[in-house]
Amino acid sequence: MSDGRSWEGNWKARLYERVRERGYDSLTAFAEARPAVPLYLLAEELGKDDLAAVQVLSGLFAEAERSKRVTRLVRDVLVRELSESLPDGWPAVLDDANRFKVAKALGCWSADTPESHEERARQVGDALLATPPPPGWRPLGPDDELLLTLLPDEEV
Amino acid sequence: MHLPHALALAQREGDERSHALTSPPDTPERLHRRRGSREDVTRVGLGSAEGTAGDAAFPRAVDSERLRDTHQSVFVAWLEVSNAARHSSAALSRLEDSMSRLHGTLPDVFVRFVEYGLQQQRWIDAELEAVSRMAHAASEVEDPDMRLALLRLTGSRLEAAMLGSFLLAAWLDHLELTEVVLRECRFYSVETLAWKMFRLRDRLEPAMKVLSSLEPWQVETAAADLPALMGYLTDEFHATREDVPRAARSFERAVLVKELLETLALGSAMAMALPRLLLPATSLTLGTGLAMGSNGVMMGTQVVVSAEWVEMMRRLVQAGVISLSAVSAAVRIRSGQVLMAQAHEGLPQGVREALGDGPEVRGMRVTGRAGAGMGEPPKHHVLPKEFREWFEKRGFTGEMSIDQFCVRMERASHEAIHGGGNWKLGRKWPGEWNRMIMKALGDAETRVGRMLTRNEVLDIVAKRMRNYDVPMKFTSWR
Repeated sequence: MSDGRSWEGNWKARLYERVRERGYDSLTAFAEARPAVPLYLLAEELGKDDLAAVQVLSGLFAEAERSKRVTRLVRDVLVRELSESLPDGWPAVLDDANRFKVAKALGCWSADTPESHEERARQVGDALLATPPPPGWRPLGPDDELLLTLLPDEEV
Repeated sequence: MHLPHALALAQREGDERSHALTSPPDTPERLHRRRGSREDVTRVGLGSAEGTAGDAAFPRAVDSERLRDTHQSVFVAWLEVSNAARHSSAALSRLEDSMSRLHGTLPDVFVRFVEYGLQQQRWIDAELEAVSRMAHAASEVEDPDMRLALLRLTGSRLEAAMLGSFLLAAWLDHLELTEVVLRECRFYSVETLAWKMFRLRDRLEPAMKVLSSLEPWQVETAAADLPALMGYLTDEFHATREDVPRAARSFERAVLVKELLETLALGSAMAMALPRLLLPATSLTLGTGLAMGSNGVMMGTQVVVSAEWVEMMRRLVQAGVISLSAVSAAVRIRSGQVLMAQAHEGLPQGVREALGDGPEVRGMRVTGRAGAGMGEPPKHHVLPKEFREWFEKRGFTGEMSIDQFCVRMERASHEAIHGGGNWKLGRKWPGEWNRMIMKALGDAETRVGRMLTRNEVLDIVAKRMRNYDVPMKFTSWR
């Protein structure tokens, strides 16, 4: 993390310049090549001192809106959150400590979810806690079977 | 004064070890991905203060060894000031007792001087207790960046307590001297003594007030003036010690009194400055300078500040816990380099470097300074003040209140984070910091099914701050 330099200058231009420098024509393509990697690490790879995770996220959402793939991105963001909070996959026992890890991932995810998807995100969280996935479940991307069932694409 | 985070640290490391031990065995497909994390687990087992094994899979900004060193240095510095505080506390109680039993004129006046010392003792003790609680809280927080930020928060209190305890010790020496003179040298004018103490108290008062206020910039200014103030106190002490025997009616008496006063053991750093005061005037201006040697700060062939102390302070300065100016003042005071003639001389470059002075630290100072007034970026609450009560219920009170968790940010950045400026992310983007952070916290709390603990709140906040690149350097709202 830097000293807030991410917000100086034209960060959008900076963001896309770095994406192009790394040989991708979109932020989405850059991110998809790094599935289940936490957002802050994507930001670090693009600009350790001058780009923030939330900027990467905003760029991803802007692209997803244009391509009408917001739901897919919402799933993708959850995958990255889970991989950050639960690197060993879904816990075998949902004791207090593990429950907090899950809650942290879901809380951060819902804070990053656009209003349009807020309600569905809440239901996904409820479902995951009510009927927990098998221990060790570790979705590797937005096409994870379980996630697709819980949060299917709606956009055409 | 309660103890400490050394225990908390040890316990924490134990916890981590057991956590590492209870992690499920690796399945083959997971092995590759977990390699980095396994190495971290080993490091944790060796006693590092890194986050849990689970978190270690992804690299973090703060080096765990450095974090542990910083934590340890805060603890050692705290312990040192606490010991001094215990000593002065005991001495003040004794003096209060003996002063109140003195007969003669103005006894109340002298008791009040002791009470003045006790007042200072109280705020120093209170700050030390707060430092202890904060360092303890830091040891319980998962996120390494947040832990370092919490340790930094102890800095202003630790600094104030350290500098305040130097002054208090000198005041105590004056009280001891006064008590002996009142008791053993009845021929000396009580009024003269009382006036002298009034004068000294008036000189001490502004510095004590500033230190106990914890205002960072004022504390730094006070720190810079502190060696001169100690020089003044030393000078006055010396003058009284010379003056009292002169008032004795007989030569024999004068010699006895002089001996008595000179055997008075000094508890403060004035002990270092006094012999220098007694040297011929010429050698004072020669600046028997300090130099950095392998055993510590040397004055000639004498070690005046140990290498361990210097190393501890270097770590604290480099971690941004304590300011270089406070440490410089401490070195000058401890080495007796406090005389008026040298008031405007800093420390030699070698000593400054050993204390952690470098481009990085100087840079920190310059940016900070930019704004002792106008140029400084405004402060913002990281934990939204509209939800003060919510946070209070989760343990954000006293020295851990939400007012302690403010950051300085340029207007543009702040606006960007708060959803204004050029922060156009599509009309449905809920990017506004306050809403976002309360949503993340509220949602996590619902999911976890109970009230979040303070550490859990900090853990989530640390993550969000990293994602938003909000600098994790807290400053108090005041």
